[in-house]
Amino acid sequence: MLTFLRRRALTSLLPLLAVVLGVFVLARLTGNPAALYLPENATAEAREQFSAANGFDKPIWAQLIDYFAGVARLDFGTSLRTGEDAATMALRAFPATLQLAVVTMVLAIAVAIVVGCWAALRPNGLADRVSGMLSMTAASVPDFWLAILGIWVFAIILGVLPTSGVDAGGASWVLPIAVLMVRPAGVLTQVVRGAMISALGSPYVKVARAKGASEGRVVARHALKNAAPPALTVAGDLAVGLINGAVVVESIFGWPGIGKLMIDAILQRDFAVLQAAVALTAISIFVLNIAIDIGYALLDARVRNKAGAAA
Amino acid sequence: MNKTRTTALIAASAALSVIASGCSVANSGGNGSGAASGTLRIVLPQEPPTLEPCEASLTATGVVTRSNITEPLLERNPTSGALEPKLATEWTQTEPTLWTFKLRPGVKFSDGSEFTSEDAVKAIDRTANNTTLACNVQGYVFGQTGPLTLAAPDATTVTIKTQEADPLLPLRVSFIEMTKRDISTTEKVREPIGTGPFKIASWTAGQKLTLSSWDGYWGAKPAYTTAEYQWREEGTVRAAMVVNGEADVATNLGADDGAGDTAVQYPNNETTALRFTNDQAPLNDIRVRQAIDMLIDRDGIITSLFGGLGKPASQLIGPGVIGYNEAMTPTKYDPAAAKALVDAAKADGVPVGTQFRIIGRTSQFPKIAESIELMQSAFAQAGLNAKIEMMDTSAQLKYQLRPFVPDAGPIALMVMHGNQAGDAAFTVGQYFATDGAQSTGGTPDLDAKIKAAAPLTDAARQAAYADVFKTQTDAVRGFAFLANMEAVLARAKTVDYTPDAATGDEMRLADFKPKA
Amino acid sequence: MTSPADTEEAATKPNYLKMLLADPLAFIAAIVLLVVAFIAVFGRQLAGPTATQGDLALSRLAPFSTDHGWQYFLGGDLLGRSLLGRLMVATQTTMSVSVPVVLISLVIGASVGMWAGYHRGWRETLAMRIADVVLSFPSLLMAVVVLYIFSPSIASIIAILAVTRIPVYLRTARAESAELQSRVFVDAARTFGTPSGAIIRRHIFPIVLPTLLTVATLDFCYVMLAESSLSFLGIGVQPPDVSWGLMVAQGRDQLRTQWWLSVLPGLAIVITTVSANLLASWVRLATDPGQRWRLTTPRRRRRRRAVPVLEA
Repeated sequence: MLTFLRRRALTSLLPLLAVVLGVFVLARLTGNPAALYLPENATAEAREQFSAANGFDKPIWAQLIDYFAGVARLDFGTSLRTGEDAATMALRAFPATLQLAVVTMVLAIAVAIVVGCWAALRPNGLADRVSGMLSMTAASVPDFWLAILGIWVFAIILGVLPTSGVDAGGASWVLPIAVLMVRPAGVLTQVVRGAMISALGSPYVKVARAKGASEGRVVARHALKNAAPPALTVAGDLAVGLINGAVVVESIFGWPGIGKLMIDAILQRDFAVLQAAVALTAISIFVLNIAIDIGYALLDARVRNKAGAAA
Repeated sequence: MNKTRTTALIAASAALSVIASGCSVANSGGNGSGAASGTLRIVLPQEPPTLEPCEASLTATGVVTRSNITEPLLERNPTSGALEPKLATEWTQTEPTLWTFKLRPGVKFSDGSEFTSEDAVKAIDRTANNTTLACNVQGYVFGQTGPLTLAAPDATTVTIKTQEADPLLPLRVSFIEMTKRDISTTEKVREPIGTGPFKIASWTAGQKLTLSSWDGYWGAKPAYTTAEYQWREEGTVRAAMVVNGEADVATNLGADDGAGDTAVQYPNNETTALRFTNDQAPLNDIRVRQAIDMLIDRDGIITSLFGGLGKPASQLIGPGVIGYNEAMTPTKYDPAAAKALVDAAKADGVPVGTQFRIIGRTSQFPKIAESIELMQSAFAQAGLNAKIEMMDTSAQLKYQLRPFVPDAGPIALMVMHGNQAGDAAFTVGQYFATDGAQSTGGTPDLDAKIKAAAPLTDAARQAAYADVFKTQTDAVRGFAFLANMEAVLARAKTVDYTPDAATGDEMRLADFKPKA
Repeated sequence: MTSPADTEEAATKPNYLKMLLADPLAFIAAIVLLVVAFIAVFGRQLAGPTATQGDLALSRLAPFSTDHGWQYFLGGDLLGRSLLGRLMVATQTTMSVSVPVVLISLVIGASVGMWAGYHRGWRETLAMRIADVVLSFPSLLMAVVVLYIFSPSIASIIAILAVTRIPVYLRTARAESAELQSRVFVDAARTFGTPSGAIIRRHIFPIVLPTLLTVATLDFCYVMLAESSLSFLGIGVQPPDVSWGLMVAQGRDQLRTQWWLSVLPGLAIVITTVSANLLASWVRLATDPGQRWRLTTPRRRRRRRAVPVLEA
């Protein structure tokens, strides 16, 4: 188990580095931000001075070496836009997104398990068809559209929720999370349903049934356990995809998270902040992937055995 | 509303009220009860990147900093255009190149220290002369003037020596916010100390900025003791916050954002136009440029797209700016005449079918994409071949500012120009002069007229600049003007405030009062 | 597919049309998709000039009236173009983005995935690590960065979306083919000296295909949504071209005043993706011999039938 994890961690470090490197190069290709940060009629000398002061005049590999040297000292550079330390900005924004993502995923998984199991109990039954339609619809609604519609209906017409922001306590969380979880909940419901249908038809469930276990026990103890690994894998991918949703949702609801920080950094060509934010995101996705692997291994003895044999 | 969603929502709200109470992000810096009297809640389109006073000509910074946290020596009245005393009580041109400013006595910074001429000299030097800091105000206002020589003969007197006679110097100085003598000259300062009626109480980056008034301010105490700024990107959300009672004031809205009866319309100083690369076929033929000008349905765009906000523009500045030419009128929409011009150019061998690009900046103003689309469709019907390209700010600036993208081909660039200073000098040098930072046209004759107008004053100045605008349109035609823009401000019923042309750049909290 | 558990159905060649007719939802879905495909090909001709040439007098025209001709039945947009016509023209753009993205990522992802899964070892590790790299960076942000470098055009949107979707197929194909390569029939083929390419083509590909097609249908929906998110950020399909996503994004400001500008294209996305999903789940049932009985057995008889034994 430990060797498996160590191996997994080592092989995952490479992608982590590749992401940071890739973002560095791609970001540089979007061009020198001098025009964005200097006054409209700045002189050519001022532009050169700006480039030199921020190291944009050096060849890209030299910038890269500087950058990694800085990262080794945990120095991600300074934001062009705000003059603040880039890592500080990323770390400050991160918890807001993390909290949003965790709550969203927990709720999405809960909804998916309940609805998915219910649907799987009688495939092609009424419950299955209705929940199928709803989950498919949920998985195919544009999030920004849902966000604006949600504000309109719940904040303006009904007046039961705040439009946006984070300082109205629990009520502030409802709309952003509802919008964010619609898609993962829809997709996961379909996955849980599919996995449950095959699990419910499998021999050990039949055995459990034959032994006289109650239907609730069969579903909860036996089938669900076997339906969990595929759902877990999809949930992991969806969690990564949540960052995409977070960009849109955070912009609309004024949520001070990392998705918004990254998109602003791209628009403002604020490379240091973009890199710090991407590195932080990549690290957390790296940790998430390992956590999923552990969860997967714990759930599925076969994986554990195979990995043990391979290592 | 389907069942899954309803269940999810109920579950969400139940679970969240528990979870959120333990979350750091949900704890705001403020007291939470924003509706309490004495607090003015403002929602802006974007968070100020910094509150550095020397960056105050950046809209996002200036709208919070200017005249609230820090103050200039003098201030331009946006309605009358006259300069009014602020931290200086009088100013005189003692010699052609020397201006003397008398400072207001008894002014204190919000940390309790005395404001003296030494502070003023440091602040002006830092903003106008310091090239390592490269402040935005410096480039915007002092770009062509060369360094200033400053002196403080006594504690309440400041003298400024310019390299050439400069009648505009007081106007330029009105852009400089006063800071303390010990402020950093090598780094920008995110949270400055100023003499303004408000000081920074707390700034939770990404969430909220709170200003509070302080005892000891030299002027009248503002009606609101606290101001809370928040920011939301979507206009619909900003408007919704005011309608829903979560904010008192929202700025930069469009007609469709849904401000309802909280909406107040105001001119926002900006003018939109297409700027042509005059030296590239087919745009190198003035008939083609004139045709394009005639193909813009200004009334249609303003009525159907802008929801009635804005006035058809005849020149790059709006009425009220010194140099505005009253005699010029917006070009009439005339597809038939335009087609005739295009055909005439074609008959003379101009390759009118050559493709040119219309470049616009994404969400620069409400409905920019639709406006460009409408123009493009009209151009196509007249036999011109235009391709639309929308870009983000950074990419678009490469086409708007020198050095331009090399070999970019023929371009009609959508520009939006705001003359905050109220004098045409800040427009024509940049946009019309052959070597202007944002100019892709111009003639020696026009350059001479621009140069000749600069040192003039009063009526002669007005006439000279008015002539520059006329010459540009008649002889150069480097632009097709679209509209003098207007915007909507959402204002809660409890607030008394009248927006003016400067509101977008400088929102004086002292002007806001609770409605009785 | 060849296991003995399904001799009952395997004995007769399944009649897919009959199965489709037996499932009314899937049948409707199939018809919807056919209509969408038809409009994607002929929509521009059918819609006529009102889809591209606006009349500002008809700006923001309310829907559900034929006073200005059938084209304006769904109302007019801001420039006074017919919304119905715009939707039809947009169908073409939307499909010409989504279909190539799904096909390209499917072909590349599946080939690399099957190859990696069949050979295992370093090839598998390499392919999976590359997939990890792509997957561990939010695809929307990647698209944003790349589209700022290469100005947004339909080709660059297709390219970047395809790259971000390849790992999805790669992972699925690898997992299945890694499992299959240890099976007896593959071993047998290997022993007879069949080259690996041929084994993948003949023995692995047919078994992996249904799963891949299911994933592809789901992904189709994802791609349409991604395209609309890019349009929301201003770097998706560029005017004067129009896609459903762009229409939703552009109409969002008018949601309160002219709701149809954003709601109707949104509905088009939802209806199409739900239809695609319904058909996908039908295909999954119809091609899975163990599940096929659900489609062939009349509804009233099902209740009495025992849950069939599946292969473990």
